[in-house]
Amino acid sequence: MQDKNYYTIDPEGKLKCMKCGVALEKGKAKFMYLDNGFPVELPVCPQCGFVYVPEELALGKVLSVEKALEDK
Amino acid sequence: MLIGKTQSVCPQCLRLLDAEKHSGDDGCIYMTKTCPEHGKFTSLIWEGDLRSYLQWSSENTKNEAPVLPKMTDKGCPYDCGLCAEHLRKGCCMLLELTNRCNLRCPVCFASAGEQAPADLSMEEIEKQYDFLMAHGGPFNIQLSGGEPTVRDDLPEIIRLGREKGFSFFQLNTNGIRLAEEEDYAEKLKAAGLDTVFLQFDGLDDSVYITLRGKALLAEKLRAMENCAKAGLGIVLVPVMVPGVNDMQVGDLLRFALEHMPSVRGIHFQPISYFGRCGLDRPGRPITIPRMLRLIEEQTGGVMKAADFSGGGAENPYCSFHASYMKRKDGSLKLLPKKSGSCCCCTGSDDSREFVANQWSGSGSKAEFAADGEMTETSALDEFLEQARLNTFAVSGMVFQDAYNLDLERLKRCYICEVDSRYGLVPFCAYNLTDTEGRSLYRR
Repeated sequence: MQDKNYYTIDPEGKLKCMKCGVALEKGKAKFMYLDNGFPVELPVCPQCGFVYVPEELALGKVLSVEKALEDK
Repeated sequence: MLIGKTQSVCPQCLRLLDAEKHSGDDGCIYMTKTCPEHGKFTSLIWEGDLRSYLQWSSENTKNEAPVLPKMTDKGCPYDCGLCAEHLRKGCCMLLELTNRCNLRCPVCFASAGEQAPADLSMEEIEKQYDFLMAHGGPFNIQLSGGEPTVRDDLPEIIRLGREKGFSFFQLNTNGIRLAEEEDYAEKLKAAGLDTVFLQFDGLDDSVYITLRGKALLAEKLRAMENCAKAGLGIVLVPVMVPGVNDMQVGDLLRFALEHMPSVRGIHFQPISYFGRCGLDRPGRPITIPRMLRLIEEQTGGVMKAADFSGGGAENPYCSFHASYMKRKDGSLKLLPKKSGSCCCCTGSDDSREFVANQWSGSGSKAEFAADGEMTETSALDEFLEQARLNTFAVSGMVFQDAYNLDLERLKRCYICEVDSRYGLVPFCAYNLTDTEGRSLYRR
């Protein structure tokens, strides 16, 4: 199965929501993990609320937070 | 019962000898070797039973090759550099910046202050940094001596090392200058120092008078205050001597915990009988099991012997460690052995990173990949910094002397002295002295 894409990157390098076709904007989001909430700001679709999580963030800080909370 | 064979040296003439490890009549583990000239020597190496001795060994048998090994002539342990026989590329490197010292301790592995040759010049230090980079760097750097703070150019030395690409600096110090000059800690922090490895033998002055020749507790406390203000991580380093401060293990641990997060950990060093050591070597020197028993007994079981494991990157019989998370109510939670410990490490690089992360002060947290302009994740950063600052490391290293030197251990040593005449020399080879105080390497 082909990977489903939720965003595109336009020629200027800006992120766009694939579904709504509009540019993502900086918006508030919250990571929830084991009853802990971490308010962050990330690129968000102003129409459907899709949140873009950069890979470096997911595999970097978020993974480290998970490890710290779980003593992995 | 014979457990294994290794090689060691004669304590009197440092000649290479075959040695056997075996359990003794008391069930503890000993090493025995016989010099054709000076006779038989038996030394305690593990004050515990065979089962505990074998269980302590970690599975990590993966070896590393030193970068650009030195050609040797006489072999281990006589011409280290490191040579191709060595099984570790190194983690922590000691630069002895001076042999001068503002104390005259009755006990000093470096015999500091005795002949006091000229300090290493800035050019020599630069050469040593370059040598390290060419031989597998960057490594963690421990600035040592003598007392390195007697040099006024210490901040420049740290700055130069940073420019050369080294990312973790710890200062091995008695703390006197840090106590006396209030802004000195800040100067060192600004230059790029991460951690102060503070000689801290006990909580009353009788210990300092015995081991250091004068009362120093007030200076130690003031040094800690100044380091905390500057955001320098502090690791308390007690040299453990039977009958002098081995009854203070629990008090030292409680004191260290009370001074978190500026105190990042405590690192016990059972005394080694080499260098200038006015104390007689007891028949039963402190080995790892005794150290762990003292920790368990004197913390009322808050920290248990079973919490600890041996190093994974070095030989496991050289060190012990455990990490704890301090909860909000002050109680401790043991972190799983694979987390925040070296036993997950496969080699020197992992260990180097672990030490740097655990022992650094505030404001030097690990860097992650840069985020885009639209991301703001300070809540995650804060949480990670808090988690790191609430982690407390208890560790220790048992150095070897001519009585218990085991070449299997020595070949996995990753703490080296840098000396332009030889290159990188494992700590226990560099400091080895015979019964007359003669050294293989040290001037």
